[in-house]
Amino acid sequence: MSTQATSKKDLIPQVSPVERLRKIVLSREGVLFIIMLITVGILSSQNDNFFTQSNLLNQLRLMTEVGLIALPMTYIIITAGIDLSVGSIFGLAAIVLGYSWQTLGFPLPLAIVTALISGLIAGVINGFFIMQVKVPPLIMTLATLAFYRGLAEGISRGRSATGYPEWFYVFGQGDFLGIPTQIWFLIVSVIIAGIILAKTTFGRSLYAIGNNETGARFSGLKVDRNLLIIYTFSGFMSALAGALFVSRVSTTRSDMGTGLELDVIAAVVLGGSSIFGGTGSVTGTMIGVVLIQLLKNGLALSGVTSDATIIIIGLVLIFSILVNNWIQERQ
Amino acid sequence: MTAATSQAANKRIKQANRNLQTFIPLLLGLVMFGAYMLLPFVTQPELGATTIPTLTAERGNNEVEVMTNGLRLLWFAGIAVILMGVVDLIKPELDRTIAILTTLTGLVALVYYPVFWMDYRAEEATYFSQINIGFWVMLGVSLLMIAQIAIPRPPAPRYYEVSRQLGNQETVLILGMVALLVIVGIINPRYLSERSLLGILQNNAYVAVAAIGMSMVIITGNIDISVGSLIALLAVISGRLATNGFPIAIAWSAPLVCGVLIGAGIGLLVAYLRIPSIVVTLAMLSILKGILIIWTGGERVTDLPDAFKLAQWDFLGISMPIWFMIVLTILALLWMRYSQLGRSFYAVGGNAEAAHLSGINERVVVLQAFMLNGLFAGFAALLYATQFQIIQATPPPFLELNIITASVIGGVSILGGTGTILGGTLAAILISAIRSGMVFIDVDPFWLKSVQGLLILVTVLVDLFRRRRQRV
Repeated sequence: MSTQATSKKDLIPQVSPVERLRKIVLSREGVLFIIMLITVGILSSQNDNFFTQSNLLNQLRLMTEVGLIALPMTYIIITAGIDLSVGSIFGLAAIVLGYSWQTLGFPLPLAIVTALISGLIAGVINGFFIMQVKVPPLIMTLATLAFYRGLAEGISRGRSATGYPEWFYVFGQGDFLGIPTQIWFLIVSVIIAGIILAKTTFGRSLYAIGNNETGARFSGLKVDRNLLIIYTFSGFMSALAGALFVSRVSTTRSDMGTGLELDVIAAVVLGGSSIFGGTGSVTGTMIGVVLIQLLKNGLALSGVTSDATIIIIGLVLIFSILVNNWIQERQ
Repeated sequence: MTAATSQAANKRIKQANRNLQTFIPLLLGLVMFGAYMLLPFVTQPELGATTIPTLTAERGNNEVEVMTNGLRLLWFAGIAVILMGVVDLIKPELDRTIAILTTLTGLVALVYYPVFWMDYRAEEATYFSQINIGFWVMLGVSLLMIAQIAIPRPPAPRYYEVSRQLGNQETVLILGMVALLVIVGIINPRYLSERSLLGILQNNAYVAVAAIGMSMVIITGNIDISVGSLIALLAVISGRLATNGFPIAIAWSAPLVCGVLIGAGIGLLVAYLRIPSIVVTLAMLSILKGILIIWTGGERVTDLPDAFKLAQWDFLGISMPIWFMIVLTILALLWMRYSQLGRSFYAVGGNAEAAHLSGINERVVVLQAFMLNGLFAGFAALLYATQFQIIQATPPPFLELNIITASVIGGVSILGGTGTILGGTLAAILISAIRSGMVFIDVDPFWLKSVQGLLILVTVLVDLFRRRRQRV
């Protein structure tokens, strides 16, 4: 027993605290975190309204949708896949919610469940074709991007649904314990998703799939099952984000979430996940999401138009990857 | 000895047979085209016997419009079979393949007759009193085109086997197109009117042109999702130059030059700084769109000078976008097939390491692919900018997705290394045909996109199954 312990200890290289700190700081997440701190510093020195509690909480509210979808997207990108259909599932779920409530006359809780299930099914369809028929994820989700958006347009026929009961707005506009309600959804999801990715066999197998899918298959990992799970998860989270969004903006339209997939992917990639698979973390992704949202808000408060903001976000995306590559190469 | 003589005789007979057969498509095509152009098609009460060209010259007459629905199919059949006949003479090995294609063309031509009959019944046309000889000749030739498949032919050498020549994505697309023309054409003959067919070709021409560049990029194993914003930006650059009094030549060439420059910028980031192309172009999407909106303030470009509107010009009765699509596709197709750089695109996309070891500088190749993509985006922008009276200041929604979709449905593997330029163009045309076909059969426009998405999926699945069967 004791010999085993010592041998294990010998196997782990001894690292001094300074060395460990250096490693953390120079990791992708560390670099990104420092960039974020610098950004916050600059933005709050530029504008008094930026670093206030109400503004920051409000920004958290606005980033919930992207944050929720970014979690499964991180999983998917780690497996070297991609899901372009999240924006369309988001819109489809919103429409299903509004349609089943207003036109079909479902009670609202049932309508919400229907919307979530429709997202789940949309994700299962993606996952099934990707794992069973071996359609490349990019193509599969490109096709369903058009298909799900088309379903949303077809079901809604261009009409919007409004006038939800008051209690429904609690999710998107209300507070719980002084913090916007949907943030609780995000916090819980982030913690669960982070633990699953970092600590469970399932989570670790995603990295294995991303690094070498064939190898993962031969090592006896349940590659197909795991792929199905993550795409289903993605569909579900997109639907959840869609429902929260409806609650936040009080209306349903079929073009909701158009282009959302790009925001989400940008956040995940900014967070250090390699599009080629095998690397990435929930922490990084969340820093990416927060960084983009703070940039948008801070620049807007400093009087930069939202169009100039998207230029800066594009530049930050390229720049952060460059810095990252540079640091990785030096190491 | 007798055996040897009979063998030689057999060979001679075979040779003779083969020579005779190879003339059949050309002959049928010439008769078809000749009948279309020269023979009287119908007899009119006042004017007597009338050929198709004189008939179609009388535009504006509703009854004539109706009667000429689908006539282009016959014209197309004639031209296509003539071209195939010429190929047959040059390359007799392709005889069997061309026989099948000729039969297919015959079937397409035959669609005209039910269309004609339905128009005739529906409108109770009084415009002509009698069907004339040209009608019957073309019907006969169409049937002969189908029947000629029955003539026994010598088996083709291995490389020219029919399954090898026709077992590709292009064939799937063409078959899909034929099925669409037949089904929609019989439900609504107006789908086959000249105006509708030319519209199908023209509507997506700029997407097809952009898909050429996209295919090159994807073949090298990269992707460009910023191309929609790029096209919109280049179009506005071109339009602004034209409205601000610059010579038209500069306004036309500016999008090409700027496209190449921006493509070079993307290519440098991808090839030399090793940032994945999807990330670079994702960032470029935001950057270009932001620049466009800030620069224009969301205001569209109006008051374009008439001389600028290249896409509205005609040449031989066919509009410029269609010419651009055809000529650029053919040039790019040949270039990808025969030039050294074109081949190296495939090499880099197939296996970058192997390409590197065999002396290809894969960084330069990727850079060039992106520059060419910029060039084709420039051409697409030129067509997009000049097609209407105004230029929108925002990128058309889903443009980059439509372009990528065309490439991918055209058979370009997203993993790189395989695919052709022709497929992307055919796919762009097919998508346009689907979209317009759905209008003609009164599908609720709100369902258009979902049907389109479903069809993309079906095409991809058919392609996957075909490839899998070939591999086994």
